[in-house]
Amino acid sequence: MRYARQMMMKQIGEKGQEKLRRSTVAVVGCGGLGSPALTYLACAGIGKLILIDFDEVSETNLNRQFLYGIKDVGRPKVVCAKERLLEMNDEIEIDEFHEKLTAENMGKIIDSADVVIDCVDNFETRMLLGRVCLKKNIPLVEAGVQGFYGWIMSISRKSACLECMGFEEKTMKRSVPIIGTTAGVIGSLEANECIKIILGMEGTLFGTMLQYDGISGSIDRIELQKNDSCNAHRESAKG
Amino acid sequence: MIEVRLFATFREGREKVLFLDAKKYKKASDVLDYLGIPHEEVAIYLINGRHSKLTDSIRDGDVLAIFPPVGGG
Repeated sequence: MRYARQMMMKQIGEKGQEKLRRSTVAVVGCGGLGSPALTYLACAGIGKLILIDFDEVSETNLNRQFLYGIKDVGRPKVVCAKERLLEMNDEIEIDEFHEKLTAENMGKIIDSADVVIDCVDNFETRMLLGRVCLKKNIPLVEAGVQGFYGWIMSISRKSACLECMGFEEKTMKRSVPIIGTTAGVIGSLEANECIKIILGMEGTLFGTMLQYDGISGSIDRIELQKNDSCNAHRESAKG
Repeated sequence: MIEVRLFATFREGREKVLFLDAKKYKKASDVLDYLGIPHEEVAIYLINGRHSKLTDSIRDGDVLAIFPPVGGG
């Protein structure tokens, strides 16, 4: 009964719902993007979610990170998120990791994931995650937000990655201004993209970046080309 | 013509998309000077969807995409 309305969709049906149930999705970062992404993945019936975040809830999170309330301030985000998500859907399994992803632990933590969703706010983890997902050949959904703007793209061995696009340390800002609605739009798009990848649908964002502009209310598509000299892709080809 | 697509905060006070005469602009840095965007504020620059340098030559029909630094999650 829980999934009846989405199973009415021709893209899902019984078979698609079973695919979702059998899937494992790792969500790295349980903040502004992680809150909507995790909520919709849990509600859609993704069988297993892996939550990774080393941070605790702070009051400044509460304008956008709706998985948490004032009583959660000071508690680990992954613990609070797991409690809240299981309240929404107790039919799914959730593993939580209250630690920072590093080159040493990342591979093991995301190894069983069918899709990884990047919701992190720092350059180092983002770059590392990109490389590990390429190496393990796991589809990665990338996104970022700032103010009224956001972006999303998917990455595989066959499509452009952040390093192909020239991402470097100066490319990313930390502690940017942000309104919850922007994180809500982009985090929801991440969940949507993940569901499409699991269902094997057309129209996924491999090789395409969507740029959301919440001021003009528009979304632009940018078709991306792989960079032949990309070190991340070259490393992944070594296996 | 060259199509110049600006994103995020680069749009504020400017057009989202501009079409410029290819004869007047030989590289992206010329376009940035015209738009009043300091070169060091550009984080990502693509010509026809491919990562490029601001000093790379641009040609008639090229589509330039110019991004400021991006935010996190």
